[in-house]
Amino acid sequence: MSALGLALCYARRELRSGISGFRIFLAALTLGVAAIAGVGSLGQAFLTGLSEQGRTLLGGDVRMARQYQPADEMERAFMAGFGRVTELASLRSMATDARNPERRALIEIKAVDPLYPLVGQMVLEPLMPLGAALDCSTACGAAVEDALLIRLGIKPGDSIRIGDADFVVRARIVTEPDRVVGGFTLGPRVMLSREGLTRAGLVVEGSLINYTYKIAFAGETTPEEFRTAEELAFPEARWEVSDRTNAIPRVTRFVEQATMFLTLIALTALIVGAVGAGQAVEAFLERRRETIATLKAMGAEGGEIFLIYLVQIMAVACIGLVLGLALGAALPFAVEYFFGASIPAPANYAVYPGPLVLAAVFGLLAAAGFAIPPLARAREIAPAGLFRDLVAPSRLRARLSYRAAAFAIFAAIAALSVLLSPYPEFNLGFLVGMAAVLVFLRLAGALVRKVIANLPRQRSQVARLALANLVRPGAPSTSIMVALGLGLTLLATVALLEASVRAEVEDQLPERAPSFFFVDIQKDQVEPFRAEVESFKSASDFTATPMLRGRIVKLNGVPAEDAEIAADSRWAVNGDRGVTYASVPPKDTRVVEGPAWWPADYQGPPLLSFDAELAAGMGLKIGDTLTLNILGRDIEARIFNLRDVDFRTGGINFLNILSPGIIDQAPHSFLATVRADADEEEAMFAGVSRAFPNVTIVRVKETLAQVGEMLAALARGVSVASLITILAGVLVLAGAIAAGHRARLYDAVVLKVLGATRARLGAVYAIEYGLLGTIAGLAALGAGTAASWAVATFVLDIPFVFAARAVAFTIAGGAVGTLVLGLAGGFAALSAKPASRLRNP
Amino acid sequence: MLGMREPAPITTAAEETGTPSIQIEDVRLTLASAAGPVNILNGVSLEVARGEALALLGPSGSGKSSLLMVAAGLEAATSGRVSVAGQRLDALNEDQLARFRREHVGIVFQSFHLVPTMTALENVAVPLELLRRSDAFAKAAEALEAVSLKHRLDHYPSQLSGGEQQRVALARAMVHEPEVLFADEPTGNLDGATGAAIVELMFSLRARAGATLFLVTHEQTLAARCDRILHMKDGLIVAEERHR
Repeated sequence: MSALGLALCYARRELRSGISGFRIFLAALTLGVAAIAGVGSLGQAFLTGLSEQGRTLLGGDVRMARQYQPADEMERAFMAGFGRVTELASLRSMATDARNPERRALIEIKAVDPLYPLVGQMVLEPLMPLGAALDCSTACGAAVEDALLIRLGIKPGDSIRIGDADFVVRARIVTEPDRVVGGFTLGPRVMLSREGLTRAGLVVEGSLINYTYKIAFAGETTPEEFRTAEELAFPEARWEVSDRTNAIPRVTRFVEQATMFLTLIALTALIVGAVGAGQAVEAFLERRRETIATLKAMGAEGGEIFLIYLVQIMAVACIGLVLGLALGAALPFAVEYFFGASIPAPANYAVYPGPLVLAAVFGLLAAAGFAIPPLARAREIAPAGLFRDLVAPSRLRARLSYRAAAFAIFAAIAALSVLLSPYPEFNLGFLVGMAAVLVFLRLAGALVRKVIANLPRQRSQVARLALANLVRPGAPSTSIMVALGLGLTLLATVALLEASVRAEVEDQLPERAPSFFFVDIQKDQVEPFRAEVESFKSASDFTATPMLRGRIVKLNGVPAEDAEIAADSRWAVNGDRGVTYASVPPKDTRVVEGPAWWPADYQGPPLLSFDAELAAGMGLKIGDTLTLNILGRDIEARIFNLRDVDFRTGGINFLNILSPGIIDQAPHSFLATVRADADEEEAMFAGVSRAFPNVTIVRVKETLAQVGEMLAALARGVSVASLITILAGVLVLAGAIAAGHRARLYDAVVLKVLGATRARLGAVYAIEYGLLGTIAGLAALGAGTAASWAVATFVLDIPFVFAARAVAFTIAGGAVGTLVLGLAGGFAALSAKPASRLRNP
Repeated sequence: MLGMREPAPITTAAEETGTPSIQIEDVRLTLASAAGPVNILNGVSLEVARGEALALLGPSGSGKSSLLMVAAGLEAATSGRVSVAGQRLDALNEDQLARFRREHVGIVFQSFHLVPTMTALENVAVPLELLRRSDAFAKAAEALEAVSLKHRLDHYPSQLSGGEQQRVALARAMVHEPEVLFADEPTGNLDGATGAAIVELMFSLRARAGATLFLVTHEQTLAARCDRILHMKDGLIVAEERHR
């Protein structure tokens, strides 16, 4: 029989009596593997759904979009050559209740032609074709989202006024097939016909209108072939083209990011669980110490002992893996069952082998990584221990080769996680952070033990016993601190980061930000508009800025797509950005490099004042050129100076400020902001919207509240996910309590014989576990504070805010949780009858 | 009453019976403890002839169990030379010692030390399995029959009495026909009658196999059944008695 055969044979014999000693090991591994498999499966379900339903989501095979300019005849003919084409125009505007002009709301208009939708189905209530709902043969009709009906207090059949025209709300929108592709919206959707949009009078030169064309291919054309043809035919047209293969890159990216982040949390849970699993292996091998020594006395080699018990542990680990994989594979179906109806993104709920294999690999590696050190120590158990363990109590140390193997396994887990991540840098940062926290918690645990061991003898016997329990040989205080601390650290980090972001969005931003943004003010409306706004007593800080949209297409003559641009600056060239012009520096401008500003009467070749941080990311300096495509025309501008652009002011900020002289001749509108007292905001909103029905009004407070709600939902989601690591920590704690149960029972019986009451023993346990939990909470708070400060300062670039609520929650969570579990574990010891235990120890 | 002699540095029974089975020369054993190093064996020398039965007699802490451990290759001596079955043990590493034990040595413990998760048959088969013998179970069954436990093959240690457990341990120690049988207080955990039966069995099995016996005991009557008795005190052999 080979060594492996012998190991398998012995493993079968040992496991015949059941796996009750492995309950914690199994639970910890199952939890970690289930978390990774579940998150991966769910992410894959969404990614598959997005990819499979890409055509429906996009509303065609290809989508072409551009601001300001509809397609010209040549472009239309080009598109029509590929199949059916539908043309959409979308813009923000205001809607008022036709009977009660005081009721107004910001809306998102989508004006469609009769071919819309090319793919998928528009569902209205009452049931009717979209064309019938929007028909303009009598009065124009509109189909609107519920939110508008609620906001204006109207119902289907009532009329709303948009711009210069009234529209009968003929139906409410139940399903808009390509809704998700539209992205973040500030108001409810209102669908109009193209005729209706024209009647509303909102299409004027310079209006911020997005023209979108969706094409359903007639033949076998691939999206790639279409892109190539489009680039050849219209190299200067600057269309934003997307296709069915990645219909909503924004959502795909979000799903990828969420999957990665949650996988990291799940990996943390697995690592915490594996700490418990390692502890359980240690306890199991401790119970097998005599058997191991016996086998060695009979001639078993160290390597054979290692293999015999490795096989057993990995066999149990496989049970945990199967359970975890089953639970993880079931997660998408559970999500579909419970939340399917309320999830806006498409998903294909199925069993995905990829994430399951990955979870199994992570699980196996983690189990092996944490099992190897105790197994390696077990192989060193001396057979002489059968005769004696008192004179020279064995402090076993794993051989270097085994320690190196365990280290290699952890390195493999980290490498696998980083290599498979769509965002390796973030992933690596997270893992480095986690490793740092692990080391910190371990050191903190060792320090606490040292401090307690060196404390002067306590006068109180209860305190003395509690402290002694924390530092006695074999006490699991350090591993409890590490396992519980890691979960609590994650929770504290999330809580503190949420507090910092919330403080920024809900407290800091509103203080600096204006009360309103007014969009689409026409050039000739600027002065009357100012007069209207400033007629309100509390109006202050009025600004009106010319507003165009343009895209950076070349850097020093090199096409943006070929230029070397840092990853964190790429966003600036990926779409249209605001562009303005100014003869004098706008208020609060901070020029950090180059001359202060061009002469007020400058009329020469275009000069550009650019964002300093982006310039660094794009490798640009003063004197370099940047080509902006504005209204279909390329404008090459020389960088004149660099500014520090702080978007956190909440006011108007432009990356690009051009010298006047060229773009001021182009059709454009103005963007205005103003501050007003809260009690006058309502009146200002009503007055402005009455006087300037074409102007779109965005209430900053509402938008920030919307952003705040999104952030809160996100933080809640992450917190819930983090709870899984706490659960893993609790398992470790439960495991440690179970492992120490015999010793605790023995202590309790001896103390009871000597006259200790249950209350006194209970007090000992309460102090012991309460103190351990509090220390773990404090250590977690320290690590969490450091981690959230680093993320806030270096990643999010917002001021760090220390939130007392997070502090209280972390410490209390740690202390109370540990206390309750500790007391529950100690209950059996408290109720043990000395006589029966002494007779039958 | 047995006659006593003054300490003998090296016993020479081997000279009478041929190549020695066990040769120990000036063995010292020092172990670390929290209170500092403890000297367990202080320069012990002895020889045991093939097939000889040797008893180590002495009070607790005299070093007799430690000497057994050193001789059985369970513990490395701090200094000195140890040869058993023609092999120098002090030159072997841990795994070589393990292989040496599985091939040449059988051990009976005071506390039996059966593997609780294995049946009597499986426990006895262990040494043969470690030797990768394909007839492990057949031989184990024979060995259990030889100790009158044929009807207990599938019983777990917890289902056996103390005497039965020690008989299983004896079968396990002898199943692979070792050259040397080490026994550490084999009757220490048994009542008088059971202990006597075990002793009877042990001596008859040993005689049948012609194995050398290295017995540690504090029972004078048990020691008296051996060919020779060495008395130990404070890590030294202080006296020797010969019976044959």
